[in-house]
Amino acid sequence: MSSDDAGVGPDADRPLSAGESMALIEREQREVRRRLNVNVVLFYGPWGAAYLLGFGAVYLTYPSGLPARLPGAVGAVVTVVLFAVATVTSAVNGVRGGRGVRGPSRVVGSMYGWSWPLGFGALSLVNSRVIAFGGLSADAASLLWSGSALLLVGVLYLAGGALWQSPAMYALGVWMLVTGALSVLVGVPGNFLVLALGGGGGMLLTAVCFAVRPPRSPTRA
Amino acid sequence: MNASSGPPLGLDPVIHAQARLRVTVALAALATGDRITFPRLQELLDMTAGNLSTHLRKLEDAGYVEITKAHQRRTPVTYVALTGPGRRAFADYTAALRVLLAPIDQPGG
Repeated sequence: MSSDDAGVGPDADRPLSAGESMALIEREQREVRRRLNVNVVLFYGPWGAAYLLGFGAVYLTYPSGLPARLPGAVGAVVTVVLFAVATVTSAVNGVRGGRGVRGPSRVVGSMYGWSWPLGFGALSLVNSRVIAFGGLSADAASLLWSGSALLLVGVLYLAGGALWQSPAMYALGVWMLVTGALSVLVGVPGNFLVLALGGGGGMLLTAVCFAVRPPRSPTRA
Repeated sequence: MNASSGPPLGLDPVIHAQARLRVTVALAALATGDRITFPRLQELLDMTAGNLSTHLRKLEDAGYVEITKAHQRRTPVTYVALTGPGRRAFADYTAALRVLLAPIDQPGG
């Protein structure tokens, strides 16, 4: 087996100076982290867009101060499609991110990833069952969904922030709790505007923060 | 400056070679306790299998790298990870580099 130089340049065996060595470490570290770590921007970006455009569209199906009003079906279709896209993007991104890596960080990532569908599965069951009793008005049902869903989103971001020691993720969790509470306080249809601007805006802002300054590693964000 | 072919500047000769430094940096980027498959590491570094195994063997001989073999659905998989001493050696190496470079950045310091 010959030790060839493929991929490391023709003068791979030439001794490195201290400066070259340091430059190589910094360059490789950036590149390897970018390729090895889950790209968190691909979690927050699609979800932020789905909240902003989906709930924004739903808000515009209600009579507002604006001259035009969207047909009711448009809001529902836009929301369902964008949420489906965000769900698939997150799942694919989560699975692909740690390709070829095994160990504690993958276990943590996978357990945390599964807590989203588990939490939302249980939440959907509880809310559907409560609403099925028929005691709630359509407006009250709408507020139950926006308040409970944002509460769960907020708590999951708090947990993620604690797990990866990420102040940005923890702050987003707090912001989502505030958004959820506010959506219930303002009532229908204002709750959709709060979800769109507060929820969607918060997630898009977090996406921008992480795009500008990527977290250092999956376990040390 | 002596003319011997020993480690230049007093740096760890196992790490202070372009290919092995790249391997070490990649493995150090993994979270503590994590391991990576040989093909994925090869893809990350864009090295040939032969070249990568040669350098991994040198790092393994120094006790810096641990290579384990496992089976996944009957297919053998080779995992590579930096050992505790390997992580420390890399930390010492970067610390030594900083010391060497410091006088240039901070004249008189």
